[in-house]
Amino acid sequence: MFAITKSVVSQKRLLKDLVVRDLKARYVGSSMGFFWSVVFPILNLFVYMFVFKTVLNMRWSDFSSDGEVPLIMLVGILIWVAFSETVSRTTNCLVENANLIQKVVFPSEVLPIYLTGSSLVNMTLGILVAIVGVVWFAYVSPTVIDWEAVRTNLEPGEPMPRVMGLSASLVVLPLLYAMQALFTIGLGYFLATLNLLLRDTYHLVGVFLTVWMFGTPIFYPSLMVERAGFGWLLNLNPMYWLIESYREVLIYGAWPDPMFLARFAVAAVVFYACGAAFFHAQKDRFPDLL
Amino acid sequence: MSHATRTEAREVNSVGASTSAIHCQDLSKAYQLYDKPMHRLWDLMKLGGPRYREFWAVRNVYLDIPHGSTVGIIGENGAGKSTLLKLLTGITKPTTGTVNVQGRVASLLELGAGFHPEFSGRENIYLNCSILGMSDEEIDERYQSIVDFSELGDFIERPVKTYSSGMYVRLGFSVAASVNPDIFIIDEALSVGDEHFKGKCTNRLNEFRDQGKTIVFVSHDMGAVKSMCQWVVLMDKGEVLEQGTSEKVADQYLKRAHARGNERLSALNRGTSEYPRWGTGEIEVTETEMLHGDGTESHVFRTDEPFGVRLRWKAHAACAKPVFGLGVYRSDGTYVNGSNHEWRHEPIEIPNVAAGDEGEVEMSFESMPLLQGQYYLTSFVYDHSKAAPTAIDHREHVLTFEVLDPLHHQHGLLYLPTLWRSVRRSADGREDVRESRR
Repeated sequence: MFAITKSVVSQKRLLKDLVVRDLKARYVGSSMGFFWSVVFPILNLFVYMFVFKTVLNMRWSDFSSDGEVPLIMLVGILIWVAFSETVSRTTNCLVENANLIQKVVFPSEVLPIYLTGSSLVNMTLGILVAIVGVVWFAYVSPTVIDWEAVRTNLEPGEPMPRVMGLSASLVVLPLLYAMQALFTIGLGYFLATLNLLLRDTYHLVGVFLTVWMFGTPIFYPSLMVERAGFGWLLNLNPMYWLIESYREVLIYGAWPDPMFLARFAVAAVVFYACGAAFFHAQKDRFPDLL
Repeated sequence: MSHATRTEAREVNSVGASTSAIHCQDLSKAYQLYDKPMHRLWDLMKLGGPRYREFWAVRNVYLDIPHGSTVGIIGENGAGKSTLLKLLTGITKPTTGTVNVQGRVASLLELGAGFHPEFSGRENIYLNCSILGMSDEEIDERYQSIVDFSELGDFIERPVKTYSSGMYVRLGFSVAASVNPDIFIIDEALSVGDEHFKGKCTNRLNEFRDQGKTIVFVSHDMGAVKSMCQWVVLMDKGEVLEQGTSEKVADQYLKRAHARGNERLSALNRGTSEYPRWGTGEIEVTETEMLHGDGTESHVFRTDEPFGVRLRWKAHAACAKPVFGLGVYRSDGTYVNGSNHEWRHEPIEIPNVAAGDEGEVEMSFESMPLLQGQYYLTSFVYDHSKAAPTAIDHREHVLTFEVLDPLHHQHGLLYLPTLWRSVRRSADGREDVRESRR
């Protein structure tokens, strides 16, 4: 684990170049280029508003304001996509870069890291859009909650409606980023190595990620899971802890639940330590396994 | 990707390391072959096993390459050359034995791999150089010389996917050569590209050599190895069969190529019946043999040595005036030569052949005029008693043979007996005349 971390630090420059290349490669040849990274989340936001708010009339609670549900979903999806895209790409990264590994003395440990870095940069653009959305719906054109009506009509067990906003809790974002990166890289190290030993891994990961996505409260509130009696599932799902923490910070300007943070931090460190150790132990064999 | 360079120090052996650029001892590499992928996983988890078969790609290799030498490694496909190079560059780790390499290594195991097709030549140069472990300043400093060397001109700003394969290779070599390594390892990369660029690459390698750098060069091309290297390592089935001066090993290599070529070609010649054969059939050519000067049969010859072709025939019916002939073609179909025993200053006639007669016709050369390559023969018997010769037994592609040219003194299709003469006049009126007949 430490050997890998050290080697990666010494490859800073290469890492930077690879990230830049990957970001450019996403939209190379298209006329709007990097702008697409901003356009996609905006388009998504409008699509969610239409589908979930206008058509399905879905609410996180009965009194949520206009922009809340789409923004909650947007944040959830941005985090999830950054995570799942990276995991699925890192699983195959050694196979894809076979010519680098077989023909050059190449520090293969940078591959999962640059993929993670690239998707986090991309995610940041989406998060900026989400922040603009929050500013709009919370300050520029706020929905006023009729607290009187809430107090009289709220059924027992229903959560109180919440006010959107931003606050000093934004300082937690870098920590969330770092932990998300550690978690993703760790899992990526493990799966990339496993995929060399058993190529079926890549296909299994695709299926597994879909199941995991629907098992995570992204398109539905966590409350519904608890009511359905599957609350224990949430206690096993690190991505739930992470996404909830992001939502607290980005949408409500609140401080994330310290328990979630602590649990996710432990999960991230454990994943990274195990993944990196496995990767490092097998690294010498990579050129032979390809 | 084309090149590996990393200054990272591999462990340096205190013994003998100070004089050798590369020193290997008992170097072996075994690959583990699994029948089923799952078995690999079970073995990893130590659940019983082992379940693999071992394949030793390189076995017990001892190499000691001094600083500043140029070493060639030759051998057939699958002899373990490429694996040996990967071991030397540190891409794979040896199963047993040690490799000590002193100095910065650049290797051209594959030109231009790792290029991203959508990016321009410029972006690919920067990325490739950083993969090679260069710093920003180093790249900026060398960028112009890389572009100049590649001769890509304005194409450097175009995406690499628009490049021709030659341009691709030029860019790959230029980047690798810019690393300024102490040890340069090349795997047949130079066999691509046009003659002009090949020449430039060779010049660059010669510069490296003159600067006292070490070059390890892998090739099938005995001629190239011989012209570049003083020391040659011959590999076969993973082992070093022989190492020594280029003359000595090249000779051994050609002998082996000879034996092997004969084996392969006689197998090939046994199954040549699919080529067309036509004629009236009064006379049948029953056998076609190619002979060395000493009369032994062979399918592999050397340029400039005596050789002959013998046709055995048998008559099934009477024929007034049969004429035997031979055509020589290069493997690409180029018609090199055709002749028969009638159309000559001193014609031979074989008049009034009766049914049941048999005999031989032989054509021979004192010196094989063909240069290195694969060739085939067409044999024919025509009846010249009629106004227009008619085919009796015409056999296309009756025999395939190979010519090896150990000397590589001449290039092209034919070895021609040239006479060279040089005259030099000095200022003081002296004249220096030299002549060479062979």
